[in-house]
Formats: sequence, structure tokens, C-alpha cells
Amino acid sequence: MRPLGVGLIYLEELESLFRESNPALSVLELEPESFWQKTLPEGPKGRVKFIPNAGAMARIAALPQHKLVHSVGFPVGGSVTYPDHEWEPLDATIRMLGASWVSEHLSFNAIETGNALEQVGFLLPPRQTTAGVNTAVRGIRRVASQLSAPFAFETGVNYLRPGAEEIPDGEFFASIAEAADCGILLDLHNLWANERNGRQPVTGVIDTLPLDRVWEIHLAGGMTLGEYYLDAHSDTIPQPLLEIASTVIPRLPNLGAVVFEIMPGYVSHVGLDGVREQIALLNILWRLRPVQSLQVERQPVSLARDSSEASDVVEWERVLGTLAVGHRSDSLSGAADRLAKDGGVAIWRTLIDEGRDGRIARAMRFTMTLLLRHLGSASVQQLLRDYHASTFPDLFTSVEGDRFADYLRGRLTTLPSVPFLPEVLQFEHALIRAALYGARSQIEWDVDPTDLLSAIEEGGAVSPTRIPPFRMEVVPEG
Amino acid sequence: MSGFTHLALPQDPVPIRVNIYVTRDIAFNLDKMFQVTRNVLGRLGCEGCHSGRVLDFRIMENFVVNAKTLEVNELPGAVRF
Repeated sequence: MRPLGVGLIYLEELESLFRESNPALSVLELEPESFWQKTLPEGPKGRVKFIPNAGAMARIAALPQHKLVHSVGFPVGGSVTYPDHEWEPLDATIRMLGASWVSEHLSFNAIETGNALEQVGFLLPPRQTTAGVNTAVRGIRRVASQLSAPFAFETGVNYLRPGAEEIPDGEFFASIAEAADCGILLDLHNLWANERNGRQPVTGVIDTLPLDRVWEIHLAGGMTLGEYYLDAHSDTIPQPLLEIASTVIPRLPNLGAVVFEIMPGYVSHVGLDGVREQIALLNILWRLRPVQSLQVERQPVSLARDSSEASDVVEWERVLGTLAVGHRSDSLSGAADRLAKDGGVAIWRTLIDEGRDGRIARAMRFTMTLLLRHLGSASVQQLLRDYHASTFPDLFTSVEGDRFADYLRGRLTTLPSVPFLPEVLQFEHALIRAALYGARSQIEWDVDPTDLLSAIEEGGAVSPTRIPPFRMEVVPEG
Repeated sequence: MSGFTHLALPQDPVPIRVNIYVTRDIAFNLDKMFQVTRNVLGRLGCEGCHSGRVLDFRIMENFVVNAKTLEVNELPGAVRF
């Protein structure tokens, strides 16, 4: 793959770094779904659509770096396949940015439950068997055929202990890359986290991979939760990982980019100067790559279809997904028994719950502030636990907010009284519904809403001025 | 909506624009309404790639609650960034 250089995942918090004409920063990698809004039909019919922010895409396209697209919403490691039309905005982004290649995760994020397809709110690891290889290869082939840039999958994080029936990590990645004839996004932080959490050592994985297929490396920092090390993208790159990268990069003849990943909430912790230091370190690593690229001729690999193997993958995903979101699994399979005892599942449950609560806090800032101030942490946490148990998550903040708003409306009569909760809930839900469904809403007020919201924001006692009733209408544009 | 007060609320990064109409002038604080809607509409997109912790609720919790006195407290051990 064409050598592009060192890059960052694009965040608005890092926009100034992309604009400061730093020759050491030559790659911008975009997670496009962060700039999309999911829209749903109000009734049972109709289909999910994703609307990209055209203005933001044009602004990002004009930045001087080479562009890569790193999708986070349509993982290719699982049995669930997304409708073709859902790929259209992703491909439009690839074309608009002129992306050199596109990557997705070798994971799954949805399960079949009865007749429904439900999100699990996280990227979970695929079934690591021959059937899992076949499932992933079919998924990659299908996706790659619909996108207008070369495709690579990301080597994922996995908090599970390795199972006796599983293919080792490196062999699993290698089999998929060869059969799907695609690139590899080698996420060394993921592999390092896997090693620290008891899975195959990084060196063993690297020794097994077809290294000429590695187009890109991801590096990041993490944090611990209990005894687990998390791929949290929360810090600078740890020194031992830099040392591993320095031994791996000279072995990658077709490396095209080395990218540092950080989550928006941790940019202030690392600081912009800290991110600049990471860019400088990655440039030192970048210069270690081989001078010459390598082309390897290969024969196409065919896959055998086996419906019983496929059903094993579906069942395994259903059990892991169900347990990870904290719902009861009625499966009696051996895998279910093993997964139920695996500490990694409890880690995902914590992370998924925190992710859901975080999305609700962002979507319903004033509602949640009111609840916390008047009911206290313990009661609100119990309310959230009840909500988690009764619904599935969604990675889009709008959908999670809408579900929680519906749930909370149903609980208003059984909760202790919270001043102005119905009004604030109705207002925030109206904004979410405008975005998610394109729905108009009317809200009756007999207090000044700005007075009320200011009081909540400033943390004072909530005693807004009573005024003659008036009506507010929230109307989505277009 | 002639005779109504109207606020147009552009949002970024999520591409949804929302208009708010009110039936009469209530000395609306435009800045506050922009702030509120930005807090909601500007954050309705998809989360990025990671397998770690999302602490927005914990942070809110640490800075908000005292259910008895309604005072804003910074709780011991609050997460700092």
C-alpha cells in the first residue's frame, strides 16, 4: 500500500493540529459515523437511514492530510449482515475524502433475538473457530465489493480467556486475511491488551500473520479496570508498546500509515502538546519501516458452506451478546456455560452499562441533572439498572436517549416527585425526536424555560418564574 | 408562523437542524437556548472506536448530587481529565 505516513483519528478537539501545517502529521483518519445522525421511521415499517453531516465532511476533506476511513458501525466479524443501502453513506464518505483505504472491525455489534435484530452497544469479539473464519470472510467479501476503496479489517481486542475449541488469535486473523484477500489494520494496542489479559502474546500473533498484508498500525494508551487492561484510548502510548512497535514495523513491507487513537474525553488529559509528542514518536517509528515494498502473488481461497457451523456462530454471538448487555441467557450450550463464568463478560457488562449511561447523560443532560440532584446517585443508578435490564443498547446517542426518555415517561408516576421533571424531560425528548424521527412536538410551559434550564445548569435551587402559559413547537428543518 | 418567535438552531457535528417556535415573546434568552440544544442535538451521533470506559455519567454524578440539600458538591474521588 502507498506509504502515507503518521496520522491521528480526526476529532474536533484535535482540529487545530490538522490545521497547523505540521509536516509530521500527514494522515487524517475519520470515523465517519461520528458525523452521522441515525434516523428511524415512527412506525414498524420503513427503514433505518444514516444522514452524514455534509458540511463537516467538506471541511474535513479540505484539510491537507491524506485521508483514511475507519468505520465503527458495521463490523465484519459476525453473522449479522447489514442491508446494502446502509453502506451507501460510508461509500459516499470514502469518495468525498478520496480515502486511500477503508477499515472496519473484526467484531460483531448486533445479535438475533427471536425475530428481532438488537444492538449490543459495543464491539464484541467474533467466534474464533473455522465457522467463525468463514462467517467473517463472507462478510468482508460482501462489504469490500460495495466500497470504492481497498478494505482492511482491524485486529480486535478480546477480554475473554482463550477457549480450548478456539483457533489462536494470530492464526485466526491470518486465515481470514488470506481467504478474504484483504488488508490488515494491525492494532498493536489491542494485541497488547489481549496479551496482558491472558491471550496470545503479541510476538506470537505477529509471527503468524501475513505481514505483507499489514497496511496500517494503530497505537493508543489504555487504563485498567479491576484486573483487566482496557483498550480505552485514554492516554499516551505506553513505553513497552512503543518498543514492540519498533520491532514489528521493520517487518512490514507494505505499511502505509501509523495512527494514534485517543477518545475525545481524554484529549484534555493528554493535552495538545502531549498529542504532538505522540506524533513525533510515531515519526521515529515510521522511519523504521522497510525501504522497499513487497508484492506477493496468491491463489484465491474458496469457502465451504456448512449450515450447522453457521448456526453455532449465531448461537455463540447470541449468548455472548445477551450476557454482555446483562440480560438472562437461556442457552444450555457448553459455550454459554464457559462465557457465563468468564470475567471478561463482566468487564463488557460494566463498559456497556457505562456507555449507555454516558449516552443518556449527553442526550438528556438537564433531565439527568434534575434526577441526580433530587433523587440522589443510588436511586438514579437503580433507575438506570432497571432500564438496562428492560432494553437493548444502541451506539447512537439519539436512539439510547429516545429509549430512556420513553422508559422514564412510563416511570414518572412511580418515581418520587422531582420538580419540573415532566417539562424538562418533554423538552429534551422533543429535540431527540426531531433528530431521530423528524417528528414535530408541542410543549406547554408555565415557567420561563430558559430560567428553569439556567437554574439546573448553574446548580442552584430550581424555582423558575411562573409566567402565563405558552406553547413551544419543536420542528425539524427540512 | 407569523407572529411567533422563531429560533433556528444549527448543530455540529450531527447534521440535524431544529427550529423552535414559541407563541409569544417571553424575553427568550437566545444564548441559553442555543446552549441547551447544542448540549442535546450536537451529541446525538455514534460513539467512536474504543473498548474502554465512557465516564460522562460518572462525571455528571460527581459534580451534581446532594439530594437532601440540593447543594452542588464535588465528591471525593471525582474523575479528573
